[in-house]
Amino acid sequence: MTTHVRDAITVVHGPQGCTHHNFSLLHATSLDNDRIALPPLVSTGLSEIDVIFGGEGALDRTLDVVIARDPGAVFVLSTCIVDTIGDDVGMICGSKAGVPVIVVPTAGFLGGSFQTGVNNALIALAGMAEPAEGNGQVNIIGEKNLEYEVEENFAEVSRLLALLGLSVNLRFVHDLATDRIASLGAARLNVLRDPSLIPVGESLKERFGTPYITMYPVGISGSVDFLESVADTCGIDPHRAVDEERGLRQETLDDFADLAGSEVSFAPLPPDPEGSRAAQDIAHALRLDINPSGRPVPVPVTPPIGITGVRRLLHRWRRALHA
Amino acid sequence: MPECETPLWPCAMTGAAACLAGFEGISVVIHGSSGCYYYPATLLHAPLHGTFILENEVVFGSGDRLREVIGDLSGRGGRIAVITTCVPSVIGEDIKAMLAGTDVILVDSPGFAGELETGYRAALAALAPETDPERTGVNIDGISLSDPFYEGNIQEVSRLLLRAGIPVGTIFCRDRFEMAGHAAPMTMGTNDDFASGVGTYLGGTLGISALRATFENVSTMYDSADVDPVLTELNIQEERVIHACDKYLRRCDPPGVAVFAGAAYALFAADTLKRYLDAEILVVGTRNDPIAQPVAQYPVEKLTGLEQVSRKIAEVSPDLVIGSSFERSVIGDRAFVGIIPPLRGRVRLAHTPLAGTSGTLHMVEDVLNACMDKMT
Repeated sequence: MTTHVRDAITVVHGPQGCTHHNFSLLHATSLDNDRIALPPLVSTGLSEIDVIFGGEGALDRTLDVVIARDPGAVFVLSTCIVDTIGDDVGMICGSKAGVPVIVVPTAGFLGGSFQTGVNNALIALAGMAEPAEGNGQVNIIGEKNLEYEVEENFAEVSRLLALLGLSVNLRFVHDLATDRIASLGAARLNVLRDPSLIPVGESLKERFGTPYITMYPVGISGSVDFLESVADTCGIDPHRAVDEERGLRQETLDDFADLAGSEVSFAPLPPDPEGSRAAQDIAHALRLDINPSGRPVPVPVTPPIGITGVRRLLHRWRRALHA
Repeated sequence: MPECETPLWPCAMTGAAACLAGFEGISVVIHGSSGCYYYPATLLHAPLHGTFILENEVVFGSGDRLREVIGDLSGRGGRIAVITTCVPSVIGEDIKAMLAGTDVILVDSPGFAGELETGYRAALAALAPETDPERTGVNIDGISLSDPFYEGNIQEVSRLLLRAGIPVGTIFCRDRFEMAGHAAPMTMGTNDDFASGVGTYLGGTLGISALRATFENVSTMYDSADVDPVLTELNIQEERVIHACDKYLRRCDPPGVAVFAGAAYALFAADTLKRYLDAEILVVGTRNDPIAQPVAQYPVEKLTGLEQVSRKIAEVSPDLVIGSSFERSVIGDRAFVGIIPPLRGRVRLAHTPLAGTSGTLHMVEDVLNACMDKMT
């Protein structure tokens, strides 16, 4: 999350290897999304001596180095070892001035799960915004920046919002400049990427009074449900948008009508029940026969978003059935 | 170790996993958090196991969890190796005592102990490899699962050995576990950064000159070897390299080159381009500790962070950059050839080598194509 704030520097307080692990993963997924350059990810480079005598000096020195570059903000992430040896990260960060230095409680496995880190980062970043005058737009909250289809999924949600005459205010946080975070509280609605972000939605609601929708539209029926839900929250008449979307849904089913009657199996089913439910809905809508001896078709770990996501999945199913 | 912007090289724990996971018959357990498990699992594409310790284990001890994972793996045949990560190494548990009475191999290789090669060496030392005077053949070493060229290197050097009538001995580290204790008395290298130190070293296989010297060594030390087919192949293929490079030089100036890699691969690339293209080697930036050069031919320095690398590229302004996709992300439209991980952003399916004859052909081919793509 924090590396998606373009003009900020992220400091990972721990051994170099921890930072390399993270950067390597971000590098791989960013290239998949045609994002060539990444913002700096600076390691405090803890050595064995720091581990024995404490790593606060290394953090202090690193912060001085990065603050001297005058970034928009500095985000400080802690690692497992730092919490184990008991460094007071908050105290060191609190002693710095001139640039916002924001502690994101992570601490590796001591800080909780991957999702806990995402939520903590978003809530910490939201602390940089103040309540603002409404602009009638919509925030997208907590996109899965490591997801291969992150841009396609965003485009689909933007398309649906546009059907209701709504536009996107902020992708919080995806490829964002620090000063744009100030407008976080100006939106009329927050759309969460998935329900695991509800603590973030609640935090933003409490802070800015912004209502939220808990998830992107999933599967063959998700788009219409999403339109109705957004319209209801924003007080917009959804009928025209819903009719248009139902037309697109039917067009998609017609385009893949040749698959009707095919025997398919879903193995292995994704751990996310939403994903298996979405796959079954699509199969039923196309009158596919689901049985264990059917030809295996791919079921993605995260379910397809909107009708365009369903179309891409159906091309993969057709390939699997014809292979 | 001072602060480092965007560190480019994996830690010692990953190096230990790269060594041990290369042996069939060892179940490798990463004793640490899910995050410490996830990175080597994705980099090495090898089956690994983890203890996935949580806060509870840090407070009350990780022994029960470690014994549980080892218990699950016991009885499956083969050996179990445990690699400790940062937190178990510092919370003061006596893991060695916990494992007393078992035949579990313990490698204390926390990330803060150093870099990839440090962990690889520690793990190999824990295996205590031995030579078997009765075993025929020549071992191949320098193989690390972290190297995208490792499979190609094995295939290529095995091909050359078989062409010389020599059986392949133990492959360090990509073999059955029991082979580590029965290695042949002689060894040939593919990458000195991961040298095993097992047996008499015959020489390396990076570059035609090294290959020639190594196989000449083989002919004097291995009675039944017939190295002539290999030496003939080297002459023929070197002529092809010279011809292709000469043709390039008829139209173009030699490239100014910046090389960023592990020390062994970096010097191989620099030597190859200097020899065949008369390239100007502007910098050799090594990820690990540099190898001493017999003669100080190139400006060599250890560069471990992307910011350092970016600054160096801006300073020397090379025509061609050799490195990883990290380097490619900061070089704009300069020519690029990838020789170290990660090599993201392009599909790689074939097992291409850097070692052996084909390794040099592959390297020169990639360099010439990359440079010609930039010709206007």
